[in-house]
Amino acid sequence: MYDVIIVGAGPAGLSAAITCREWDLHVLVIDEFVKPGGRLLGQLHEEPNGEWWNGIEETKQLMDKAESLNTDIRCGISAHHLEKVKDHHFIVHTNKGNFEAKNLLIATGAAETAAPVPGWTLPGVMSIGAAQVMTNVHRVRVGEKGIVIGVNVLSAAIARELQLAGVNLHSMMLPAMNSVTKEHAHPKKVMDGLSRIAHLAPSAFLRFGSRFTKSDFVRKLATQFYPKSGVKMWGMPIHLRKAVTEINGKDRVESVTVFDITADGKLIKGTERRIEVDFVCIAGGLYPLAELAAVIGLPFQYLEELGGHVPVHNKKMETPIDGVYVAGNITGIESAKVARAQGTVAGLSIAKKHVDGKADLDYRLLKAIEQVKTIRNEATIQFHPHISEGREKIEQAFRRIVHS
Amino acid sequence: MTNNRRIVDHPVLGKLSDRKEITFTYDGQTYTGYEGDTIASALLANGVRTLRVHEESGKPRGIYCNIGHCFECRVTVNNETGVRACLTEIKDQMVVESGRVLPSPLASTEHDTLPRTYAEFVKQQEEEKGEV
Amino acid sequence: MDHITICRCEEVTLEDIKNTAKKYQCSAREIKLRTRAGMGYCGGRTCRPAVDAVMEQVTGEKPGHDIPLKVQPPVRPVSLATLRGMQDDK
Repeated sequence: MYDVIIVGAGPAGLSAAITCREWDLHVLVIDEFVKPGGRLLGQLHEEPNGEWWNGIEETKQLMDKAESLNTDIRCGISAHHLEKVKDHHFIVHTNKGNFEAKNLLIATGAAETAAPVPGWTLPGVMSIGAAQVMTNVHRVRVGEKGIVIGVNVLSAAIARELQLAGVNLHSMMLPAMNSVTKEHAHPKKVMDGLSRIAHLAPSAFLRFGSRFTKSDFVRKLATQFYPKSGVKMWGMPIHLRKAVTEINGKDRVESVTVFDITADGKLIKGTERRIEVDFVCIAGGLYPLAELAAVIGLPFQYLEELGGHVPVHNKKMETPIDGVYVAGNITGIESAKVARAQGTVAGLSIAKKHVDGKADLDYRLLKAIEQVKTIRNEATIQFHPHISEGREKIEQAFRRIVHS
Repeated sequence: MTNNRRIVDHPVLGKLSDRKEITFTYDGQTYTGYEGDTIASALLANGVRTLRVHEESGKPRGIYCNIGHCFECRVTVNNETGVRACLTEIKDQMVVESGRVLPSPLASTEHDTLPRTYAEFVKQQEEEKGEV
Repeated sequence: MDHITICRCEEVTLEDIKNTAKKYQCSAREIKLRTRAGMGYCGGRTCRPAVDAVMEQVTGEKPGHDIPLKVQPPVRPVSLATLRGMQDDK
């Protein structure tokens, strides 16, 4: 029986594993991908201080540390069920057999939200995250010329990564509005999101937008007068007043159909044209992947600030089920740095239960919780402007549930 | 075999060092990939995008999420069905086959109009009522 | 536009989902049972947020704190051999 099984070898899972091993717990980390690192692996962006955030390097550092502590990390294992047998006795059901543990840490990260566009099942259409992994992890070009549908924090960052790797992107634009794409297809709402990454882009126009985002009037104006040729970010046009209505092709992507749109996202008749591309990346954002938290019976809260349904937990990464912990994007969509810091918190919380007479642990746990907040406040990429409020709400939900 | 779909040089991530070549087959044709490739990345590097067709409609599908969530890339590997190409490393002499259309009791040239889903069934019933 | 596939696994269109939701004014769960959206190979991981968005628009059903479609194990397809406790011999 393991002291703790960690599901997910991303930044949260790995840092938690390191902390648990530092306190000499018997740890198993499983992940279904071919190598550890999770979504961190594909990440690559330049920080405002000019340094590169290189996900492969960051993963390597975590792995070096984990390996120096003889951490058991196994890839290619898919968990399909988590079961509670009794207090502090859990079974993790996987495709490679069952594993038993006294504690569980669910660090399964996030999945991508689809922004469906007609034709999106054609080979050559992929999620923006798929293109990121193919480019930075597998080092394979996803196509000769492509277009990104969906303008948001994630897609802008990854579009830049594709460019860096020499992948030819025509532009980024919005999906045509339908019942599903709604927010992603509304120029003004997209503008709000864009302005939050303006500091990453050397664009005077976006900086202008960001300074006044608090004013609804100015935001509207900026959308109204959004340049027809798009705003260039690293030389690639970002269009908020153009939308893709259809992806065309017989057996694979051959082109996309594009319309100009009004500031409210309505198609303008007579502006239809085709752009030849051989791949399309769809970017609808991320949501916490919490299915394993659901099957073990954790309660949930729907919090838009955190990206959707998140399992109830507190700052110590504890859940209402004693012995079950969560960390990383399953608790809300934030950067890998936050996830990594949360992993340390979870690791210390687990260690605290199993290591006697170490008053020092309480202090470390408090410090680690503070560290999460500090990193959150300093985040370069912020996925939602009201993250902190979301965090407060989930904390309150935990108190309500545990005290009732 | 070099191939221009590989990103060999990268300004930040650096140059790919020599990797071991691996030979495998996909639908009977022989392809080469590198050690560490997934089935999906090796095939894409060879220009192969279609990994299966929808079991019923026969519409082509390729990778979508590339990290094991969507199951769109499932293929048959050494006779094991439902294997995710994006999560499976290629091994030397691996036999990979694409997903095909499955026989359906409803599939028949005479009964093309049979509903596939309950929603279609209701729609058809209403249309029939309308005609009467 | 309504011919867009929403559920890729079962090829359920936006039109199917909208019409069913309008006609029956039903829950997301009933939509799943009537159209098979979210019942395919991936277990709804790809289309679930999209189905929720359509439901919100058509019936006004906003996502509550409970996950609209109950998540059931196994959350990945597993072979009977695996369930029986056998190891994969790969």
